[in-house]
Amino acid sequence: MFWKSTYNEFIKIAAKPRSYIGLAAISALVSVILFAMKVDGKTYISFITSSFEQTLTFEGDILNGDLIAFIILQMLIIHVPLLVALVTGDLVSGEAAMGSLRMLATKPISRSSLLMSKFLAGGAYTLVILLWLGFMALGVGHILFGSGDLMVLNSDGLVILQNADLAWRFLGGFGVAYLALLTIATLSITLSCFSDNSIGPIVTTMAIILFFTIIGTLDVPVFDNIRPFLFTSHMIAWRSFFEEPFPIETIQQSVIILVVHIVVLIGVALFKFNKKDILS
Amino acid sequence: MINLQYFRLSLFALAFLLIAPTVHAQKTPNQMLYAVVQKMSKVKDYSAEANIRSDIPMIRILPVNAKVYFKQKDKFKVESTGIVLLPKQGFNDFYKIISDSTTYTAVLTGQEKILGVPVQVINIIPALDTSDLILAKLWIDAANNLVLKSQLTTRTNGTMLIEYTYGAQKTYGLPDKLVFTVDVKKFKIPKGVATDLNKPAAPKPSTGKTKNGQIFINLTNYKVNAGVSDAIFKK
Amino acid sequence: MSDKIIEVKQLAKYYGKFKAVEDVSFDVYPGDVFGFLGPNGAGKSTTIRTMLSLITPTSGETRLFGRDLAHHRSYILSRIGCIVEKPDFYKYLSAQKNLEIFGRISGASITRSKIGEMLEFVGLKGREKDKVAGFSHGMKQRLGIAQTLLHDPELIILDEPTTGLDPQGIIDIRNLILQLKNERNKTVVLSSHILSEIELIANRMVIINKGRSLVQGSVSELLNNQELIVRIELDDLQKALQVMSDRWPQLEIEATGPNSLLIHLSHEIIPQVNNSLSAAGVNVFAIESKRKLEDYFLKLVKN
Repeated sequence: MFWKSTYNEFIKIAAKPRSYIGLAAISALVSVILFAMKVDGKTYISFITSSFEQTLTFEGDILNGDLIAFIILQMLIIHVPLLVALVTGDLVSGEAAMGSLRMLATKPISRSSLLMSKFLAGGAYTLVILLWLGFMALGVGHILFGSGDLMVLNSDGLVILQNADLAWRFLGGFGVAYLALLTIATLSITLSCFSDNSIGPIVTTMAIILFFTIIGTLDVPVFDNIRPFLFTSHMIAWRSFFEEPFPIETIQQSVIILVVHIVVLIGVALFKFNKKDILS
Repeated sequence: MINLQYFRLSLFALAFLLIAPTVHAQKTPNQMLYAVVQKMSKVKDYSAEANIRSDIPMIRILPVNAKVYFKQKDKFKVESTGIVLLPKQGFNDFYKIISDSTTYTAVLTGQEKILGVPVQVINIIPALDTSDLILAKLWIDAANNLVLKSQLTTRTNGTMLIEYTYGAQKTYGLPDKLVFTVDVKKFKIPKGVATDLNKPAAPKPSTGKTKNGQIFINLTNYKVNAGVSDAIFKK
Repeated sequence: MSDKIIEVKQLAKYYGKFKAVEDVSFDVYPGDVFGFLGPNGAGKSTTIRTMLSLITPTSGETRLFGRDLAHHRSYILSRIGCIVEKPDFYKYLSAQKNLEIFGRISGASITRSKIGEMLEFVGLKGREKDKVAGFSHGMKQRLGIAQTLLHDPELIILDEPTTGLDPQGIIDIRNLILQLKNERNKTVVLSSHILSEIELIANRMVIINKGRSLVQGSVSELLNNQELIVRIELDDLQKALQVMSDRWPQLEIEATGPNSLLIHLSHEIIPQVNNSLSAAGVNVFAIESKRKLEDYFLKLVKN
């Protein structure tokens, strides 16, 4: 019954017009960035390298598809959570608002199975969004700009990664980025279990992200102890894949924190959804 | 009779041996520089395989393999499949500076030893106040007409120290190894561009101290005067 | 093993201090068309939602098919088809796709031909591919009934199925329900505030008010035990009043117009009244029992 319910959820997500907002938005945004880079990418690069260029010169194809993909990921990964929450935040509360939740809940499928099938479908949608972003950034980026070494500007300096070394880094980076977005999706679905309207969970998810991001970036000692445990502090853990030396422990810590968040949020959602009186 | 002749010959040989170094030492700076230029002018073109390794604060890059091309008078190209970090001042910028003796004044400032090799230290002061070069300093192995070290100070690129090590191509004055030492005090990370929001800011470098970085270039597989197409420099 | 298909005992549901349901008990037998009556806010929807595990009761016991709902939820729900309030479908999907979605998790194997058969049964043949967004209320109601029948359940629970329907729609639903009982041997629990509907199609019923069940039993028995209110249309009002007061002085009689009387009497003396009036030369044009269930219901609820 669980797999049948999951199949149902896939059908519903694929049929909903709002599911395509995220894909369209990514297409439009990435196209704009690609166009801008094609027209004026060299100016962008010189801004990064300017302070080094008094004594050094960078030879080779810096403005390549790998750099473009990295820049796109960097710019959009902050905004993609909204596109994900737009769909996943609606999975339970949207059905409650529509009244169809009532009909689903009178079927001989356990509430846990019903909810887990929504989690699975939400996770799959999140993957589709990220894969689309990856295709637009890496795929189209490579077509337009070719491939090459990747120059990354981190807070502690410039790292130049060789092209042969990039495939596993991008793969790992996307993997961890997916985990971060999955945490967002899980949060929004959990909030969706507490609401009977469509917009509330989406707005609340974004508000929580904003709130935690502000705490994470405020350079105030009182937050030092909690900062490492906020999921927002690990949302850009994917960038660690583009550091040298490779910070395996940092990445492991981020993965653990995000996985723990996902597990706890699913637990809360299951508890609430099973106990919830469906009055809508 | 024979003993006296032998004694005179020995005396003459001894005198020659004693005088010979001083005869060399008595070459003027311009003459030493001219000898270096003459040696290097024999190279019409060359290509070589380069391995470039960097040790520069705030920059992390793995060693890169590249191909280096040169063609008279001043065509120079580094070709690599990836990104290569190179010093702003080229491999043989000093050659361009010293090849025209009318543009500078050369002053011998002393003698030193580099890895046991005696070298003459020559300062090159440009004739024009408006030239980009402020001062050049060369450590020359006069016996072999080789530059073992150069220090160029320019208005645009600051000061760069380059150390040369020679091997099979010393007859052409082409080094096997170069070590560039660069001043990184002015290096800084632009904020707000491609930085990670949640990482604490890197500690600022301590002020007042000059920080240096180095670039090591090993050159092998030279092909000298084998012909290099102009098309390579147009790519 | 109980022969009852539904047993509800002392069901209660509190929301804080508010008692939505306080003490509701009733039984439903196989083959019943069971009426579930009560005024607005009586607790009908809460009770039905509790029976379908949409709501967790505060106390009480609910058994369906002889099993406790709390521990046999999947087994029970696989044998029930229901519409709670109004059927809400996915507007962006077609009728067929909606039925496929609900049929997939109904516990039975639902084929496309079965879906087609159900749509035809409820009068929606040819509308399979149409998006539900374009359906009228009546069509959605019929699609809802198709959805309840997909997996051929034994028990059908309909909460206010005729709400918002036009007279033709109400007749259609009534006929469908009778078909379900007579042709398909379904047990139907029908909650409604349209008393005439219950009177016409239900054989047993329970009346609840303020969260408590008041009476339950066979519709005919409950009503036949009660006094009727009969309206008689005639030509000579004075003579009729005279006859009635002479023969049946104890009866409550009220003139409601120049040519009509309202009489509170029991069912079996109606023929005698008719004969007496005719014998006295009074022409009787019509005898109708007026809103008996409605009055019974209102009396019960008021008390």
